[in-house]
Amino acid sequence: MGILLFISVLLVAACGLIYELVAGTLASYLVGDSVFQFSTIIGTYLFAMGIGSALSRYLNRGLVYRFVWIELLLGVIGGFSSALLMMAFAFTQGFELILYALVIVMGVLVGLEIPLLMRIVRDRYEFRDVIAHVLTFDYLGALGASLLFPILLVPRLGLVRSAMLFGLVNAGVALWTTYLFSTQLSGARTLRVACVVVICGLGIGMADARRITATAEDNIYADDIIFARDTRYQHLVLTRFKDDLRLFLNSHLQFSSRDEYRYHEALIHPGLAAVPVPHRVLVLGGGDGLAVREILKYPQIESITLVDLDPEMTKLFSTHPMLTKLNDKSFLSPRVHIINADAFPWVDSNTDNFDFIVIDFPDPTNYSLGKLYTTAFYRAASRHLSAQGLMVVQSTSPMFARDSFWCIAQTLKQAGLQTYPYHVYVPSFGEWGFVLAGTHEYIPPISLPSGLRFINVEGLPGLFQFPPDMAPLPMPPNQLNSQVLVRTYENDWKDISH
Amino acid sequence: MKLGRRKFLRAGSAALVGLSLKTDRPIAGSFVNDSFQMGHLLRDRASFPPAKHIEKFPIVIVGGGIAGLSAAWRLRKRGFTDFVLLEMNPQAGGNARWGENEITAYPWAAHYVPVPGPKAEFVRELFEDLGVLKNGQWEERDLCFAPQERLFLYGRWQDGLEPAVGLTQKDRDQFQHLEGLFAKFRASGEFTIPLELGRSSKSQDLDRLSFSDWLQQQGCDSRLVNWYMNYACRDDYGAFAKDTSAWAGAHYFSSREVEEKGPLTWPEGNGWITRRLLERVGENVRTNEMVHRIAETKRGVSIFAGDTEFQSEFVIFAAPTFLAPYLVEAFPRLNDFVYSPWLTANLTLERLPDSRGAEPTWDTVFLDSPTLGYVDATHQSLRTHIDRTVWTFYWALADGIPAQNRQLLLDKDWNYWKEAILHDLERVHSDIRQCVSRIDVMRMGHAMIRPTVGSVFSKERRRLTRRDTRLLFANSDLSSISIFEEAQYHGVLAAQTALDRLHGHR
Repeated sequence: MGILLFISVLLVAACGLIYELVAGTLASYLVGDSVFQFSTIIGTYLFAMGIGSALSRYLNRGLVYRFVWIELLLGVIGGFSSALLMMAFAFTQGFELILYALVIVMGVLVGLEIPLLMRIVRDRYEFRDVIAHVLTFDYLGALGASLLFPILLVPRLGLVRSAMLFGLVNAGVALWTTYLFSTQLSGARTLRVACVVVICGLGIGMADARRITATAEDNIYADDIIFARDTRYQHLVLTRFKDDLRLFLNSHLQFSSRDEYRYHEALIHPGLAAVPVPHRVLVLGGGDGLAVREILKYPQIESITLVDLDPEMTKLFSTHPMLTKLNDKSFLSPRVHIINADAFPWVDSNTDNFDFIVIDFPDPTNYSLGKLYTTAFYRAASRHLSAQGLMVVQSTSPMFARDSFWCIAQTLKQAGLQTYPYHVYVPSFGEWGFVLAGTHEYIPPISLPSGLRFINVEGLPGLFQFPPDMAPLPMPPNQLNSQVLVRTYENDWKDISH
Repeated sequence: MKLGRRKFLRAGSAALVGLSLKTDRPIAGSFVNDSFQMGHLLRDRASFPPAKHIEKFPIVIVGGGIAGLSAAWRLRKRGFTDFVLLEMNPQAGGNARWGENEITAYPWAAHYVPVPGPKAEFVRELFEDLGVLKNGQWEERDLCFAPQERLFLYGRWQDGLEPAVGLTQKDRDQFQHLEGLFAKFRASGEFTIPLELGRSSKSQDLDRLSFSDWLQQQGCDSRLVNWYMNYACRDDYGAFAKDTSAWAGAHYFSSREVEEKGPLTWPEGNGWITRRLLERVGENVRTNEMVHRIAETKRGVSIFAGDTEFQSEFVIFAAPTFLAPYLVEAFPRLNDFVYSPWLTANLTLERLPDSRGAEPTWDTVFLDSPTLGYVDATHQSLRTHIDRTVWTFYWALADGIPAQNRQLLLDKDWNYWKEAILHDLERVHSDIRQCVSRIDVMRMGHAMIRPTVGSVFSKERRRLTRRDTRLLFANSDLSSISIFEEAQYHGVLAAQTALDRLHGHR
């Protein structure tokens, strides 16, 4: 019996530490500032344990009975703590309040455990053995938990299920205790029923944890999530609020269906309508098919080649009814050829010529994407331009990332191209910029396809005017060996978010 | 209650072992490119078959590393094709060999060339030939992509390899003091690449003491300064500062302009240059041809490889010079040629390991590691999405006596080195064992020449650069430092000398 008893000390200690780690980790994930979170949570937790220990002296009778109840309570509260905190963050304003309240309650309960256990077993052993054994297993349990948590639990189970697993352990210890000390216990049957109820509750929770996480995530994005998937390349989330569809890639907004026409008309028409006789068009990026939708408005175009990295993205925009409605089934047109490949190597190895090239990549938020905004890349892309050809580059916001925008323009210039920067206003993005580039002078078109909602011939010259707060800045070109753009971009947006 | 301590320990360790085994990937691999068996045949004066065939070439190049290939490049560029290059290994390239798997090409040793200064004319000429230098502009794709280097120290990363985090005022002062001294050396024009063009007896005193003694004389006792200086010596010479000539230490820091373009590099490192050279001279190259004897005759020189006697007028000896006493008849013993043993390994990674939040760089170094860190072969890839990669891991066995470390390389099995490498990487990438699927290890007993005290200005060395013999030496070890530029310089010079004298004869 001795060893069994001390193993329960070990388990109980592990549970206590896990709840503390779960609280600290979740707070760091959700609020940030991990040093602050862990320090204050550990401090509060230890302090609450002290309160628990102090309170233990007021418990005098039915120690085993009370111990079992404490375990059950802890199993429920600790087990659901992670889910509760996620919900609190997603649905309430008072995350911190709930966090610390929870930490204090759990700390008090954990603080009660060891003093009670010591008193329960004190008649069986000498005092010095009780102290030595209980504390030894207490610390061992803590070590085990602290190793298990980062190595196995978080990567394998996630925070919600890890907490529930240890809630189950608490409830298991409770049930076990009712058998271990059945002689010292009255009303054991009721207790066992309670244990079974708690165990079932936590078991169901574990099975259903995914939905809890999803529900919470739903609310972290403002709107309903209608589609979410981790593809090999990115985290893809599609949300809907009434008639507004929004696509997020790795949490960055790609478009809002309410105003995306502004972005895509501005991306395509100023350039494409200026190409005398466009037959062949290349789109790099643009896996949502919205740029292609605009290009298909030119009947003389014979072929559109779209190169996008992620097959799941192009497949989604070829099949999902809401999305094909948005892009007018552009990917199903026989004139469109979709190639799922990494853009830079594809541009290097392909030898075709195009009359219009659309470069529509995500903003240069890291060094990998930064490669697609370099002189080397633009030189390679411009080799595919036909004599009268033009290319257009999505160039982030000249307002919020002014340095970055002019850095991209300078990079195109350095690549030997004449550049024609312009900008438009897209409500969900703000001021947005593009750069047209080619080997000859650009003359704005005098006619446009019919049915456009935003771009018109009269307004075109105005797009190329930059007011003083977006005016050109002298910037170095972005090259593979310097990647100045990534750092510039990071600084630009840092300035805004403060 | 008593729980036996032993029982407890057994239960505990079983639990821990169980944890670590569960998630590890099985790791394949072996020793590759071993060449010591052939070297030992020469060393032990094994008997070789008598010559059955005779072939005649005016010029024979022995050794297909950068020196030999550069000699061949120069010969063909001058329109001379009547020569043969004999390489004992199945693959030419020497320290610029490369490998390739389904993920990427990767280097086996040398992996970059710094942007050459104006004095390195031959290097610039080569790079113009290869399209790396166009109209005075370096091709962007051949310059090392950003971010280039990172150092792991005090549980975090910093950009660049010179320690810049947690420096005391003393550390900072000493780094600055040294930078001032190196700037003066640089301005003196005596520390050049190629080394031969600048070296003058004015700074010969520096060759008479070790780099660590010199640092001490300069009052450099900072731990970080010493770590960095030792790192530089291990990286370029395979030796500690105490085993390096102060002249060579100074040369490392003073021979190149301080500039930010970064080195020229390719996924397969200098293997890329080998490939381009082989495209140009490959038809003159014969691999698996181990030369076992070189003898001067009345009319020229005979080179014996396998059962063939190559009769020539001039031999360009581009193999490591220490082989000469074993190959060339009546060749004197060499004293000033000490070589550092190395180990390199290529690790195939099925996914990128945890890097504590940092974006991957080209070169990664850990402070206070006995190894030199690793280089990522896919860093120079143009792809935006990379999930598998190959790391080339470098380890100069600098600690101890070279001969003993060579024995260590032979004695320990693959498993030993595999564990040592993983152990080193685990300090920073805790999940490395779950990422690596293969580790191939290359052991090189005489990987690079070591610029020991006195060896830079050694008379023995000077004698070997004579240009009036039929045997023309060309290995980079003539310069006492093992870098691409020196190898190429000596190779090209030897080729020019051979051609000039050949035409003079006729």
